[in-house]
Amino acid sequence: MDRPYRNETESLCPVCLKRIRATRVFQGDEVFLVKECGDHGPFRTVIWRGEPPMAEWRRPKEPVRPEVCYGAVDAGCPFDCGLCAAHEQLPCSVLIEVTDRCNLHCAVCFADSGRGETEDPPLARISWLLERAMAAAGPCNLQLSGGEPTLRDDLPDIVDAARRIGYSFIQVNTNGLRLATDIGYGRWLRAAGLSSVFLQFDGVEDEIYRLLRGRALLDLKLQAVRNCGEAGLGVVLVPTLVKSVNTGSVGAIVRQALQLAPTVRGIHFQPVSYFGRFPEQRGDEGRFTLPELMRSLEEQTGGLVRVTDFSPPGCEHALCSFHATYMHSAGGRLRPIGAGKGDGCCSADPGAGGVRKTVETVSRRWSLPSEAPRFFRPPLPAENLCCDVSGPNTIPGEGPLDLDLFLNEIAAGSFTISAMAFQDAENLDLERLRGCCISVVSPDGMLVPFCAYNLTGREGRGLYRRRSGPGQ
Amino acid sequence: MTEETTSGGETGWICNLCKVPLEVQTIRLQYSRTIFALHLPACPRCGMILIAEELATGKMAEAEQILEDK
Repeated sequence: MDRPYRNETESLCPVCLKRIRATRVFQGDEVFLVKECGDHGPFRTVIWRGEPPMAEWRRPKEPVRPEVCYGAVDAGCPFDCGLCAAHEQLPCSVLIEVTDRCNLHCAVCFADSGRGETEDPPLARISWLLERAMAAAGPCNLQLSGGEPTLRDDLPDIVDAARRIGYSFIQVNTNGLRLATDIGYGRWLRAAGLSSVFLQFDGVEDEIYRLLRGRALLDLKLQAVRNCGEAGLGVVLVPTLVKSVNTGSVGAIVRQALQLAPTVRGIHFQPVSYFGRFPEQRGDEGRFTLPELMRSLEEQTGGLVRVTDFSPPGCEHALCSFHATYMHSAGGRLRPIGAGKGDGCCSADPGAGGVRKTVETVSRRWSLPSEAPRFFRPPLPAENLCCDVSGPNTIPGEGPLDLDLFLNEIAAGSFTISAMAFQDAENLDLERLRGCCISVVSPDGMLVPFCAYNLTGREGRGLYRRRSGPGQ
Repeated sequence: MTEETTSGGETGWICNLCKVPLEVQTIRLQYSRTIFALHLPACPRCGMILIAEELATGKMAEAEQILEDK
């Protein structure tokens, strides 16, 4: 079998968190991470199920080492995060937890928030942390997280401080309760410079919220979106997916999101991982892998979105996520833009390490359609062109686009569907971790890859997160 | 392109190779897997297409940035 990924990697023992060797084992159309700890025995976790095959889901990147490292290479990955000089990607996003308080107590919470044990870090401390992150990671995207960040009345001041430090894209990660009930708060955040809202949104049925969040929340979620729209804030819906709870609802979420566009700019699915608080189902039966989600999206939307729309990421490791960007027409039609999985010219970023390509490189990708006539005589108005002369690279059923119309519609808002598979102690793959581009700014000012920061062993012990929380 | 043409004819351009005026044609241009239809001056004989600098560095560059995969 052609296996473009190295089969050998490293992981941790999920019990003692000691680093151990691990192997990706291809078995039928499934792939498992298999590892063994000398003290705690063998472990085997499914990491990929079915089409598109893992072997074809690749986007190799040249390692890019951080220039400013707050961690020294000593004990080896994943124990030296800061980042350390052995990391293989630059951060594109940094996340900071501005409170440990929460107004929900969800069954699922990667941060295990809401224990109310810690004081919120003061604004001056947060500013110091953000300056330190900026010095190491540069002006990347910033996500304000928690706990529930909107419990802080001074969150707009934090946004304002982040703007002054140099962050140009600032997002708040929220359950939306305050945004739904306090429209002035959203306007205040917008005026302070908030770019977008990353809204927990698990489905379009209250039963889902009762199971995952402890109470019916759908009306509040929809009101939060409306209020964000009135405040001029874009929204990304963020469903946490738990098997037997809402993995059958991804199509309904897409349809709801499209009805809420252009305020809703996209959906970012997050299949549940086993860290922090999570349902008691550590086994493979609870795993919902990325290819399963891609296929579910196609099946549950009746082909409105398709598996072939999705691409591996250009930034983080290919096995960590997928994404597709669409032009959203008023009639509810989605037209994928960008490369898609089947486009070979996007299969590698040699030497780029995921950093944005130059315009010169990009410019080489304009061409005449290979199967289409070079031009037509007599000239036809663009709206009269038919797709019957389209080449095989054209999207089935889609004709050529008018460039002005395209630019106008994109300006009105593209729509993105993406997903990220976070890693836990069971399925942690250190090759993926070294390629991570999302860093948490820890309370002591270190940059720690998101999955390493949140990772907890079977006995609840964290690798980095301390129970003293964000206020220390 | 501009070196091979001189102004004149209906579009203001003549193909320097064929010595015939360029005509406005509906041209399909593909970027990644998206195909656009544009009205552009083209030589009816050899098929050479003229893309003005303003278009290349303006709307086409803008479309590139949008379509470029991240």
